[in-house]
Amino acid sequence: MRVDILQKIEGEAFLRYRFKKGRIEHVKIEFPHYRGVEEIMRGRPAEDAVAIAPRVCGICGHSHLIAAAEALENAAGVTPPLKARYIRNVTLGCELIQNHIKWLYLVILPLLKRMGFREVPFFEAIDKSATAGKIIAIFGGQYPHTSYAVLGGVCSDPTLLEIQKAKLFAKEIEDFFHSEVMEEIERFSEFKDSRGILKEIYIFLKHKELLDIGRAHDRFLNLREGTKILGLKRVSAKLRYVSTAPSGIGYAKNALYKGKYFEVGPLARRIHTPFVKDLHRRYKDGLFTRIAARVYEIKILLSQLKETLKKIEPQGDSFVKTDSLAEGTGEAVVEAPRGSLIHRVKIKKGKIERYEIITPTQFNLSNGTSLNPGPAQKAVIGLRDRSEAELVFRSFDICSVCTTH
Amino acid sequence: MKTKALWLQGVSCNGNSHSFLNYEGLRELLSKVEFLYHPLLPSRLRIEDLADFTEDIDILVIEGAIKKEGFLRGKKEFFRLFQKLKKKAKYIVAVGNCASFGGVFKEYEADLTGVGYSKGEKIADFENLINVPGCPAHPEWIGSVLSLLCEGCEPELDELSRPAEIYSYTVHAGCLRNEYFEWKVDSATFGSKEGCLFYQQGCQAPYTGGNCNKILWNGVSSKTRAGMPCIGCTEPGFPSRDLFKTKTYMGIPARMPKGVPKRAYLTLTGVAKSFKIDRLNNPLMPKGPGCEKEES
Amino acid sequence: MSKPTKKEQRKIEIMDTALRLFSKEGFFAVTIADIAKELNMSVGNLYNYFSSKEALAKELIFYISKILGTKIREINMMDIKTKEKIEKIVEVYFNTAIERPELIDYFLRVYLSHKEIFKEGCEGMICVSPFVTEIMIFFEEGVRNSELRDQDFFTAFGLFMGYLGGMVYLKGEGMLPNDLKFYTRSISENIYRALKSED
Ligand code: SF4
Ligand code: SF4
Repeated sequence: MRVDILQKIEGEAFLRYRFKKGRIEHVKIEFPHYRGVEEIMRGRPAEDAVAIAPRVCGICGHSHLIAAAEALENAAGVTPPLKARYIRNVTLGCELIQNHIKWLYLVILPLLKRMGFREVPFFEAIDKSATAGKIIAIFGGQYPHTSYAVLGGVCSDPTLLEIQKAKLFAKEIEDFFHSEVMEEIERFSEFKDSRGILKEIYIFLKHKELLDIGRAHDRFLNLREGTKILGLKRVSAKLRYVSTAPSGIGYAKNALYKGKYFEVGPLARRIHTPFVKDLHRRYKDGLFTRIAARVYEIKILLSQLKETLKKIEPQGDSFVKTDSLAEGTGEAVVEAPRGSLIHRVKIKKGKIERYEIITPTQFNLSNGTSLNPGPAQKAVIGLRDRSEAELVFRSFDICSVCTTH
Repeated sequence: MKTKALWLQGVSCNGNSHSFLNYEGLRELLSKVEFLYHPLLPSRLRIEDLADFTEDIDILVIEGAIKKEGFLRGKKEFFRLFQKLKKKAKYIVAVGNCASFGGVFKEYEADLTGVGYSKGEKIADFENLINVPGCPAHPEWIGSVLSLLCEGCEPELDELSRPAEIYSYTVHAGCLRNEYFEWKVDSATFGSKEGCLFYQQGCQAPYTGGNCNKILWNGVSSKTRAGMPCIGCTEPGFPSRDLFKTKTYMGIPARMPKGVPKRAYLTLTGVAKSFKIDRLNNPLMPKGPGCEKEES
Repeated sequence: MSKPTKKEQRKIEIMDTALRLFSKEGFFAVTIADIAKELNMSVGNLYNYFSSKEALAKELIFYISKILGTKIREINMMDIKTKEKIEKIVEVYFNTAIERPELIDYFLRVYLSHKEIFKEGCEGMICVSPFVTEIMIFFEEGVRNSELRDQDFFTAFGLFMGYLGGMVYLKGEGMLPNDLKFYTRSISENIYRALKSED
C-alpha cells in the first residue's frame, strides 16, 4: 500500500492506494482532522448559527453562511425579501468565482507545471479573486467570514452607487477572465479560433492523452435545483433522500442519495450547457470535462452576477423581522463552490438542539468499497501514475476542512 | 537574501490563509519573503518535509489553535512540529483568533489554546510572539507586520501581545454609524443604513480592538458599515454567545465602551436621549427606483 | 470634591431661599424681587447669579437632583444587598421629604406639574440626570446580580419613584394618619417584591 498526502486542499487528506499489476485497484481517503463545528452550534441561540457557520471553511465560508441563514428561515417559515435574495445571490456567486480562480491558479496549474506545463504567474489571478471578495465586502462588509446574512434577510442596504462600484469590479474580473482564461465561446469546437489558459490545458492534456481519464459514475446531483442527472437526463431529486453513513476511515462521513454515490459540483450544475454538453459527449465525465466545467462556470457566474446586480433596487427591504425563533426544524441546500451543501437545524426553546452539515466533498470523496466506490475513488481506478491520480482528485476541488467540519 | 518564513496550521479553517491572499501588497511582500511552506501558495517544502526540516527561520507564522495531541500535519503530530519550529524561529506571528487565544474551535475542545495565550490568560512566555487576532485577521495586519519584521523592525505591542498600532483603536472608531451612537439612535432592524447596532443588535465594536473601520475590509467597507454588528473577533473572549443581541440589564448595555465608566456613559446617554435629532430619526437619504429604465 | 467658592456658596443660598419661598407662597406668586429682598440683596445683584426666574427654575431642579443623586450614589457604593439598598433609598427620599420638604415639593409641584417652564434647556433627562443616572446604576446592578428582574428601565423606574412621590403627595395633602417614616419598611418590602427576580 502507498500512502500519499493530498495537501493544500484546505488541509490535508491521506490517500491509501492499493495497486494491482501496476494499476490503482482501490484507494481509501482519510481526512484526519475534526473540529466539532456541529457540536459548537449545539446549545447556542439559534441566531448565532450564522456567526459560527462561516468558520467551517476559509474558502467557502460564505456558502456555509447562506446555508445557515436559509436553514433558520426554513425553520421559522420565513421568506426573506426579494432584494435580500438578490444580494445573497451576488455574494454567493462571488465566492464561487474567487474559489474557482484560486483553484485554477493555485491548485491545477502548479500541478500541471510539475507535469511539464508552462509556468503561469498567479498574481493577477489572485488579485482578481480578491476583487470578487471586494464585491462581497460591498454588501457584506468583509470577506472572508462576514455574517451579514441573518434570519430574515441581509444586514446591508446598499446604495445605487455602491451597486455601481460592484458592477465595475465585476467587469474587471470579466475582462481578466476573457483575456486570460477563456474567450467568450458557447461551444467547445476544440477552442477553434479562440485562446486562453483553458485551451492550453486542453492541448496539454490531449497531448498527454489524459483528457478522458478520471471518469466517475456519470451521475450527478444539483440539489439546489432539485435534480439528479442520469445519462444527461434530469429528474427531480429530493433533499430528504440524502443520508450520511460512516466511511470507516478518518473523521469524514459518506454522503449518499438513496444509498448511492453521486457527483456534485460545477459539472453537475453545468452539464446541460452546450459547452459542457459538447465536452461530455466526447470525454464523458472525465478529467477535462470536469476541469472545463468549473472554469466555464466562472463565465456563467459572471454574467449572472451582472444581471443580478441590475435587479437590486435601492427601494425595497433588505430584511423582514421575525418573531424570535423558538421551536422548529429547518434545512437548506446551497450550491457551494464544490457542489450541493446541506445544513439542517433543530431548534428548541430558542436554542440549537441539533445541527448537521453535509458538504459537497462528502459526496464526491465518499469512501466506498472497490466494488462500489465513491465518485473520486471510481475516477482513479485503473490509473498507473499517482500524479495523474492526484490531478484527477484535484479536479474535484477537494476541501478537507469542510469534509469533516 | 529573502526573509525565510514558514506558515504552519494548527486547528484552523484556513480563513487567515485566504484573508492573506487578499493583501494588496502580496506581490511585493513575496519578493522579500519566501514562504518555505504555505498552505495555499506554492512552496519549496511539502507538508511531509517539515518532519526532517532543521534550518533556522526568520518568521514562523501560526494559523489555528494549538492542539497537543492527535492532530497531524503531514504524518507528524502538529505539536511536535510546532515545538521544533518555534525554537528555530526568530519571530512567531500568531495570525487569527485561534492562534492568538484559542478561537472558535476551543468551544468544542476546551484544551485548545493559542500560541501564548488561552483566552486572555498568558500560558507561555514568548519574547518573540506577535499576536494578530481577528477571525480572520485583516490581510493588511498580516502583510504589514510581516513586512515590518522583514526590515528588522518590531511593532510596539499591547498587553495581549498585539501590535498596538492596530488594536489600540476600537472597531467603533470610524464606523459610519458613529453619529447614531452619539445620539443614542438605535437601528430598529437589520437592513438599514440608519441607526447604531450597539443597543439592540449586539455590536461589540466599542470594546473591541482593531482598526477595521480605519483601513476598511477588502478596501471597501466593514461589517458595521454594512450593517452587521461587530462580533468581537479580535478579543480573547471570542466567540461569545448571543452575538446578535445586546445583553442589557434593565435596558442598560451590560458592557460599556472601552474605558468608559458606567456613570459617565449613563449621564451622557441620558442627556443625548433627551433630544430627538430629526435628521437622525429620518431616513438618511431618499431611495429611488434604481436603474430599471436603463434596461428597457 | 473641592470646596465651593464664595460665589458658588452665594448661589446655593439663593437657591435654598428660593425653594423655601416657592414652597410657602407658590412658584408663581414669588418674584425675583421677593427672593432678593429675603436675602437682603439688590435685584440687580441677584441677576448676576441667575439671568431670569426661568433660569433659576431650571438650575433648581438640577440642584435638587444632584442632592438626591449624591445620596443615592453613596448607597450604590455600599457593599450591601439590593433589598437593603431599596430600603436606604426609600429612607433617603422620605428623610429629604421630612427635613427639606421644599426640595421634594419643588420637584413634584413645580417640575413635574409645569413642564412648559422646563421645555427648553431641561429636555428629557438633562436636568434630572444626576438623580436618574444613579437610579439606573442601582437597577442595572440589581439585575446584574440577579436580585432584580430584567425589564424595561422605565417600568421599574415608574413603579419605584411613582410610589414614593405618591406617598409624599398624600402626606402633603394631610391624608396619611402616620408619619412617613412609619411606612418605610413596608413600602421598601413592596417595592422589592414587585421588582425582585422570580427565582
Ligand atoms: S481565527 Fe477564524 S478565520 Fe482564522 S482559522 Fe480560526 S476560525 Fe478560521
Ligand atoms: S454600529 Fe457598532 S461600530 Fe457602528 S457606531 Fe454603533 S456601536 Fe459603533
